[in-house]
Amino acid sequence: MSNIVNVARMQLINKWTFLGIPMIILVSSTGLTIAIWAMIPKQDGVTTLVSGSGQAVMWYFLALGIQSLTYTFPFSQAMSVSRRTFYLGTLGLFAAIALGFAILYYVLGLVETATNGWGMGGQLFALGWIAENNAAIQVLFYFVLMVLLFMIGFWFATIYLRWKTTGMLVTWIGLGLLLIAFIGFLSLNKMWMDFWGWVGGFTVPGLLLGLGGLCVLLAAGSYLTLRRATT
Amino acid sequence: MSVIDDSRPIFLQIAELIENDIVSGEIREESQVPSTNEFAAYHRINPATAAKGVNLLVESGILYKKRGIGMFVSTGARAQLLATRRKEFQHQYIAPLAREARKLGITGAELTVMITQSLSTEEPEGRGIR
Amino acid sequence: MNENMTPAIEVRNLVKSYKDVEALDDITLSLAANRIYGLLGRNGAGKTTLMSILTGQGYATSGQALIFGTNPYEHDETLSRICFIRESQRYPDDFTATQAFKAAAMFFKNWDHELAQRLCTEFALPLKRRIKKLSRGQLSAVGVVIGMASRAEITFFDEPYLGLDAVARQIFYDRLIEDYAQHPRTIVLSSHLIDEIANLLEHVVVIDKGKIMLDEDAETLRGSAVAVMGNAQKVADFIDGYEVLHRDALGSLAAVTIKARLTETQRQMAAELGLELSAVPLQQLVVRTTLAEATKETTPDSLEALK
Repeated sequence: MSNIVNVARMQLINKWTFLGIPMIILVSSTGLTIAIWAMIPKQDGVTTLVSGSGQAVMWYFLALGIQSLTYTFPFSQAMSVSRRTFYLGTLGLFAAIALGFAILYYVLGLVETATNGWGMGGQLFALGWIAENNAAIQVLFYFVLMVLLFMIGFWFATIYLRWKTTGMLVTWIGLGLLLIAFIGFLSLNKMWMDFWGWVGGFTVPGLLLGLGGLCVLLAAGSYLTLRRATT
Repeated sequence: MSVIDDSRPIFLQIAELIENDIVSGEIREESQVPSTNEFAAYHRINPATAAKGVNLLVESGILYKKRGIGMFVSTGARAQLLATRRKEFQHQYIAPLAREARKLGITGAELTVMITQSLSTEEPEGRGIR
Repeated sequence: MNENMTPAIEVRNLVKSYKDVEALDDITLSLAANRIYGLLGRNGAGKTTLMSILTGQGYATSGQALIFGTNPYEHDETLSRICFIRESQRYPDDFTATQAFKAAAMFFKNWDHELAQRLCTEFALPLKRRIKKLSRGQLSAVGVVIGMASRAEITFFDEPYLGLDAVARQIFYDRLIEDYAQHPRTIVLSSHLIDEIANLLEHVVVIDKGKIMLDEDAETLRGSAVAVMGNAQKVADFIDGYEVLHRDALGSLAAVTIKARLTETQRQMAAELGLELSAVPLQQLVVRTTLAEATKETTPDSLEALK
């Protein structure tokens, strides 16, 4: 147990990777968006300015998933840490950080609403279709999204670590084939309308369940891949 | 720099080095010899090997152990070593000397003169060449 | 008591095969605790593969590798008793040496901070520079510092002197003897060079092409062979009946290394025959033995192949 905590501490020895950089991205992307909004001349009829820059941090978590494995896994082996301990420590740390950021997003969303969109009618955090849910679902939604991105990065990195370029190639080709098969299936059966209808019918809790399941799947896949990975 | 060579086990060489120091009087009887770790560090050898060399001398009664303090040279150790070495002298030094002399055609009389000369010019307390 | 009876390292019929090659070919080995071992062999002989499996970083195709009687693979308690820094060890990209030591201090319970500091000073290691920007020698020094200061019950040093200059290597050897004397533990020095570390070793294991070629106490090995030089005919008569490790000839002269511990009488006989005897350094002995074994083993096979 203590070593699981130690792995998390090891990942935090350089504070920048897990804490500093995401904060900088969050602050700078928010600041930049608000600055741009301030420069846009007010147009008639447009009441809200929507920006996706709030996602910037989430994309960084994808890179972080890759980094936290490729940079530190070989070193953790030299520190006589089992793969299981490394896995639990790293994922545990990320879950804690993701939870922190999810709460921060929720709080920023509240501030956004209270200040009438940073005084400019902007929407960065309190995106309409999420903000209308209760607090727990909002936090959980951001949390699951961040963990999902992290897990995707982490999983790809374990595949690469274990099977190198061949593994990457097979994975990408496999995913590509799946996608083509899916598109082909929908096209041949003329089911595109049904598909978009199905997507449009998603509620946030439903989406949560789906993405959450995907997270668990990726987490299990990463662990099984890592168990036999060598540096 | 090392006096240790590859021809024989190191522990024998360590034992011999200590013997040499006792014979030459460098280490006096009833005085303490360096610890195995000091020997190991000085000669850059494995401490276990150094200990084996020291133990060899303990077994033959040259050194004895004072519990908790260290290794000391036994009384009479020098005499004991001298006796052994004298016994080996003929075998180790005279035989090869005679062999080489025969090869070079040096007669017994000539050899005696040479030895007498060497004995009178070289200091008698010089350390053995080993 | 029981703990002392269990070997620090025990390997039984260990096999590691890759697609086209047997990296370890049925290795059996037992290493007692608290000694300094040399794991010697050429590059690619299987040393790193063996150490990887012994430290749970790799896994075997078949057979057993036990550390204090337990398989270390994914076993945290056993792993915590081991330290193995690879020759090609990778560190987190943004880590400085100081940060690597900080991490090591968390994971190795016997970590000695003062020893680490002292070694850093002696190696003149730039502590604030990122590890990926260090020279080969400085990188080796980082590994040596972690290995030494971890004071793990079993410590593996993988080609530790790579890129280190003569002074730094001597510092390593000196500190190793010193620290080992005060804190006895099992140390495995893996190397393809033997000369410099020969006197530090208590036991030697030579591995070649995934097989154990030699597993012997260093002291037993020392002086177990002798090189005989002189007139070819006389040499041939003298060495008759002994196992020949190596043979060199130059016209009517011959130099033959034989596996023999000569008595004083035999030495005198050699001298009378005008033959010169010389000691065989451990390095040469290992090379000769390995090569002799290798030719012995491959000859029937290669003959088979020729048919």
